[in-house]
Amino acid sequence: MSNEKFDAIVVGAGPSGNTAAYTLAKAGLKVLQIERGEYPGSKNVQGAILYADALEKVIPDFRDDAPLERHIIEQRIWVLDDNSFVGTHHRSEDFNKPPYNRYTIIRAQFDKWFSSKVREAGALLICETTVEELLMDGDRCIGVRCDRQGGEVYADVVILADGVNSTLARKAGFHGEIQAKNVALAVKEILFLPEEVLQQRFNIGEDEGVVIEMMGSVTEGMVGTAFLYTNKESLTIGVGCMLSDFKANPARTAPYALLEKLKRHPSIAPLIAGGEMKEYCAHLIPEGGFHAVPQVYGNGWMIVGDSGGFVNAVHREGSNLAMTTGRLAAETVIAAKAAGQDLNARTLKAYKTALDGSFVMKDLHKYRDMPEVLHTSPQFFTQYPGLVNRAAKTMFTVDGIDKKAKEKEILGSFKATRRWGGLVGDAFKLWRAFR
Amino acid sequence: MTAAIHVNVEEKLFQNRYKVDHGRPHIRIKDADVCSNDCEAQSCTYVCPASCYKAEGNRTVTLITDGCLECGSCRVICTEHMNVAWEYPRGGHGILFKFG
Repeated sequence: MSNEKFDAIVVGAGPSGNTAAYTLAKAGLKVLQIERGEYPGSKNVQGAILYADALEKVIPDFRDDAPLERHIIEQRIWVLDDNSFVGTHHRSEDFNKPPYNRYTIIRAQFDKWFSSKVREAGALLICETTVEELLMDGDRCIGVRCDRQGGEVYADVVILADGVNSTLARKAGFHGEIQAKNVALAVKEILFLPEEVLQQRFNIGEDEGVVIEMMGSVTEGMVGTAFLYTNKESLTIGVGCMLSDFKANPARTAPYALLEKLKRHPSIAPLIAGGEMKEYCAHLIPEGGFHAVPQVYGNGWMIVGDSGGFVNAVHREGSNLAMTTGRLAAETVIAAKAAGQDLNARTLKAYKTALDGSFVMKDLHKYRDMPEVLHTSPQFFTQYPGLVNRAAKTMFTVDGIDKKAKEKEILGSFKATRRWGGLVGDAFKLWRAFR
Repeated sequence: MTAAIHVNVEEKLFQNRYKVDHGRPHIRIKDADVCSNDCEAQSCTYVCPASCYKAEGNRTVTLITDGCLECGSCRVICTEHMNVAWEYPRGGHGILFKFG
């Protein structure tokens, strides 16, 4: 490829890689970014919600030209039974005042835009090139080998933004194989609808958006959630469950069958009716949280984004953690370079220190017990959705039975299913995991 | 548990854009005998979201990677046998998401 040596090589052009490359290039460093897709975004999958804050920190005026779909003015959380839901909706006119906080985006378009900013900042981008392995000199990473003729390139530091499969770090022995209990497998479709139809169905105006997050019987008892997001003239609908649960599900349900079941749910079918499906995607999401974050720096290498497991599954946040880790990694390199330091594990440790001091590790630490609690408490995905839906149906059905008796019936159903000990234990578990 | 829903995943995959690297599949079953003889569950045959793995009548598992969505699930779930050799496709090949 070339004999020149770079200050930094960034592998991958998703949110973490783009933020890292942008920050480094902006500071005047010589940056090579390598992307295996035909264009940045062509390999990337997300729900997708963009959280403005993390992007604002690197590109404050991103709203001027970034391809944004709709800003979110309403959040719905639904607990599904087979033919009903109980939910909470929060809609506020405050979310309609700029600067907006959250947007739906279409990643293929958004990543392409972000990449144009990275190149404007001065980074060299090579697409359609897969990095096969890291070049090591002892325990020091000195560059990468790509699937191009003479594809060895060298740099002082390699930033691994290569996504959830973290292929390069695994091959180099920086960490082991991903555990099936630490990743969710999500599938989704994009369904196109005329803008006016979409706005009428969701009771929204131009550029306004709604997100629906769901849990319950649709995941067949597996730990998982589903979602429906409004884009400009399309809907994104998807469902994801822990990969270990997919594997262990006695019904041997395929992910796309789960998605189909979601689409046919009587509360959802009318919202998506007539939508023209134009793409079907699948992706792994690292949801192991705090305890699953591997060593993320070493001699001449750093890991950012999904590759390092930086996802807050409880709050459905990932891309903002990706951007923040990319920025902090880049800032660490910039500071070390400015001080004339060698980019070894000792100096790059500042990256981990910065992560620990940021919301990234603080939030992951706060919810550190959540993955284990959910894995060991299937009742939150099996029994409770049914119980709350039946309770609501009981209370709202007017049939001559007095309300006191109805309350007794509902309480009885909870006690019969979970017993007092189970109910108290479940409340305690959730409190512990959320506190 | 509701009755199983029959879905033709090929119809879904038909909407996607691919640049297939003909003759160079990026995923390989290392030893077909391990799937037939040692793997009871053959979970790849129902977990793969693109249905690339098929359970044949004679207990063999076949793999066609053309519709692969490059998620990595097959490799991660094959922990007991480590029988999936998994690489990303060559640069520019494989799934090309239009929307992602």
